[in-house]
Amino acid sequence: MNLEVKNLDVAYGNGGHSIQALEDVNLKIDQGRCLALVGESGSGKTTLGKACLGLLPNNARQRGSILLNGQEIDTNDETALNTIRWKSVSMVFQNGAANLNPAHRIIDQVAEPLIQHGGVNRDEARGRAAKVLEEMGLPEEFLGRYPHQFSGGQVQRVLLAMAMILDPGVLILDEPTSALDALTKGVVSRVIEEGRSRGKAILLITHDLEFAVRSADSMAVLYLGQIMEALPADELFSNPLHPYTLALKRSYPAMNSARDLGGIRGDAFYRTIHQHGHEDETDYLHSHIQVPESSHKDGHAPPSGCLFSERCTQAIEECQKGRVRFEQAGTHTVRCLRRGIVDMLELKGVEKGYNSVTALCPIDLTVKAGEIFSLVGETGSGKTTLAMTAAGITRPDQGSRLFEGRDMDRWIKKDYKSLARRIGVIYQNPAESISHRFSVLETVAEPLTIHRVGLEKGERVDRVKKCLADVHLSTDRAFLERYPHELNMGALQRICLARALVLGPRFLIADEPTSSLDPSVQAKVLKLLLDLQIERGLTMLFVSHDIGLVRKISDRIGVMLQGQMVERGPASSILSQPCHPYTRLLIESVRRAFSLELNRGNNRQHPAGCSFAPRCPERQEICDKQTPQLRDIGHVQVACHFPLNTPLFPFLQ
Amino acid sequence: MATGTNQAAGRFWQVITFSLAALAMIYLSYLLPRLLPGDFVTATYASANVTLTAEQEAGLRAYYTQDKGFGDYLLKLATLDWGYSYAFLTPVSDLFFGALPWTILLLGSANLISMFIGFVTGVEAAWRHGSRTEKGLVGGMTVLEGIPEICTGVILLVVFAYNLQWFPAAGAETAYAEGGFFQRLIDMAHHLALPLTTLVLAYFPGNFLLTRNSMMMVIKAHYIDTARAKGIFPRRIRYAHAARNALQPIVTRFGLRLAFMITGALVVERINSYPGLGTLLFNAIQTRDLPVIQAVVLFSSLIVLCVILGMEGVYRIIDPRIGNAR
Repeated sequence: MNLEVKNLDVAYGNGGHSIQALEDVNLKIDQGRCLALVGESGSGKTTLGKACLGLLPNNARQRGSILLNGQEIDTNDETALNTIRWKSVSMVFQNGAANLNPAHRIIDQVAEPLIQHGGVNRDEARGRAAKVLEEMGLPEEFLGRYPHQFSGGQVQRVLLAMAMILDPGVLILDEPTSALDALTKGVVSRVIEEGRSRGKAILLITHDLEFAVRSADSMAVLYLGQIMEALPADELFSNPLHPYTLALKRSYPAMNSARDLGGIRGDAFYRTIHQHGHEDETDYLHSHIQVPESSHKDGHAPPSGCLFSERCTQAIEECQKGRVRFEQAGTHTVRCLRRGIVDMLELKGVEKGYNSVTALCPIDLTVKAGEIFSLVGETGSGKTTLAMTAAGITRPDQGSRLFEGRDMDRWIKKDYKSLARRIGVIYQNPAESISHRFSVLETVAEPLTIHRVGLEKGERVDRVKKCLADVHLSTDRAFLERYPHELNMGALQRICLARALVLGPRFLIADEPTSSLDPSVQAKVLKLLLDLQIERGLTMLFVSHDIGLVRKISDRIGVMLQGQMVERGPASSILSQPCHPYTRLLIESVRRAFSLELNRGNNRQHPAGCSFAPRCPERQEICDKQTPQLRDIGHVQVACHFPLNTPLFPFLQ
Repeated sequence: MATGTNQAAGRFWQVITFSLAALAMIYLSYLLPRLLPGDFVTATYASANVTLTAEQEAGLRAYYTQDKGFGDYLLKLATLDWGYSYAFLTPVSDLFFGALPWTILLLGSANLISMFIGFVTGVEAAWRHGSRTEKGLVGGMTVLEGIPEICTGVILLVVFAYNLQWFPAAGAETAYAEGGFFQRLIDMAHHLALPLTTLVLAYFPGNFLLTRNSMMMVIKAHYIDTARAKGIFPRRIRYAHAARNALQPIVTRFGLRLAFMITGALVVERINSYPGLGTLLFNAIQTRDLPVIQAVVLFSSLIVLCVILGMEGVYRIIDPRIGNAR
């Protein structure tokens, strides 16, 4: 069977104040397919599941249609509903044991639909129920018990057995894995897998993103009742397109992601629709996003526009206006005015040489808005050159640079100041990047002076103090008047950081920004940067040798080798399963020393062939003759003739 | 099994506690009537046109208050010798067992009927929550619940017994009537009608409101949604799933009503001069007929104990979770 939802709107309550639970929801699940519906709680996931069974409470107003095998379900006709309920569409409800009648034995509860719909007598129904329950792994002596005698995982098995008893064509699973241990999750996985192979259409409602990716074919991301993005399930972690999907992914503690958990700024509660006089206008019907403790006026969401705009870090003014359409973008469909996450920086075919030395071979680099992109690689691999080129400081010999969609070279010529204000830079050597003649105050306030920010008396000093406090430096008068030679490296580096952040840039380019900090201060500074990423959507290009550090903060990683990018992709993939032997060597050398191996042939200027070949354990003939080009392998891009396909830490996979 | 021994130990202690409670009640049934001001002699002769000399009075008092102490009382109870009524000079047990069936008939049927009607209307009303019928029923029942049974009793009596003369005003059956078994049955029903209606009207609104409220909690439960999702017939959802779990308060109320059977019947039995235990007790108190008072008080307190003990078992059947709650 297949299940299709068309233009579904659901609102709860009536008249004055109603809550918009779903709006303009469209989705289709073909037979043998599983669609995962993900989103924060309160996004309307369960409402959608219940709507498919006609189980919405009386105060729900529903528009649009739900089609089963192309036939519309009439949710007002209880008799008609009862012919499809459980027989064609069944559901595993969330909240476990609360869904079982405490006064009935579980075997009777499982057998009940059989007696009702199957015309089977009580004994036979019990026999068949026992069989299904046993398939779910419940031993026979459990069957005559009452729900309160079961553990959470056993209840989940009972609910699954109950849903499968009539072998329905459509199965809806509402949070089937919450509160389950990883091993019991396997039972749910098996039910989904078997259901798919037997041609069922499965709607999986969950906030367990990893389980969703593993079990489903496609995925829909719901936010405040609207589908924000529909995407193939396996691209959730590697290629989210909508800012909300990305934020959701960042909030999820995925097993093979070492990055610190991020959140989503602000809170989503629920949307109310009501009517009242607003300022001097007459009554009109409009919607709200309810925010606690805010006055009514402040709590007003835009009557139209993107629902996520309030929390989106890349929102522009237009996002608050107009209707956002649900549009196709490649294999994804997104509801975003900017068609998903935009590119902050785009370098194409950038080349740079210093006299006879090639620092950058033609290189492409895209940094998306709000992400932290880390460049790693051995010394002299061109990381700093690439970073400075991206910052607009170094001029490339060849290639084009786009920043926020505008040509950088032209921008530099026309109005360098406005570009420089958007990009904060932290240079590699803090001692050298601060003038000896500037006090701490003068150093950090300099960008404000140049850009004529904070002209009022005292304002600049306040901003400087705030910035210094953010990087955990002293803000007293004596410290502000000190000079660089009086300070240690850790303090200097933090002053550089404060200077880079004082203008509130959109993009931060940081070349080893924490190399001189002790771990405790480094942890605080990184926390600050991650918070800025969540709250302001700060984008970062991060250059570091410290793989352990990169693991903790990166969304994506690019691996540099002799002016080339040899591997690039999501941080979790690169760190858990590096494909390029060079990357693997880099990561493994954190644990073991490979000094000899790494040094051999390091300065070779390569006429042809792979620049890693002299040191490569996998080297073959072709490696010396032909330069490998970047190509897609899974979610990553690798420039290697013989990419590795084994995980670095086998047991985790 | 460990739980088995635990449960057995639990039962044992329960029996012990209940026995102790019963003993305490027996003592109170012995003590309390004795604390009533006045005694049989003053009660009987105070209003009579007989003047007793001090000697006569002392003699009578000595005759009627042959108190041999609690131990003797207990012993007599054990041998089922409940003594003689002072007023009627017949064995207390004769009086008691003469009145008991009528009370059981009246109170039993009143409780059963009001529970059944209250339960069914409560379930149906809760299911139609928010409808005009439900709102009307809840309002009406609340008003009805507020009218004391003494009012309904008197009104019914005035209207149907005196004005319309459809029903007899007093008694449980026509005295010295002759006729077959069925005629007697009809006669009894005829006499029962007014007090029964009074009690049903008094009990059933409470049952209705209790059931409805209990149902309101239950129908919001997730398992009701599950049952709906399973496509179960609405009536089966209402009764097998919802009402089944709403039973507990109503059963509790039923039990408590039974426990307070005698006091419950007192007013109505008096109004309709129904020859039950209530009337017996009332008269006995008026005449300070100590042996009768003792018997009725003791019986009524033992019933409370038995009902509570029995309800434990009923609860276990109604809600399987209770057996495990320890």
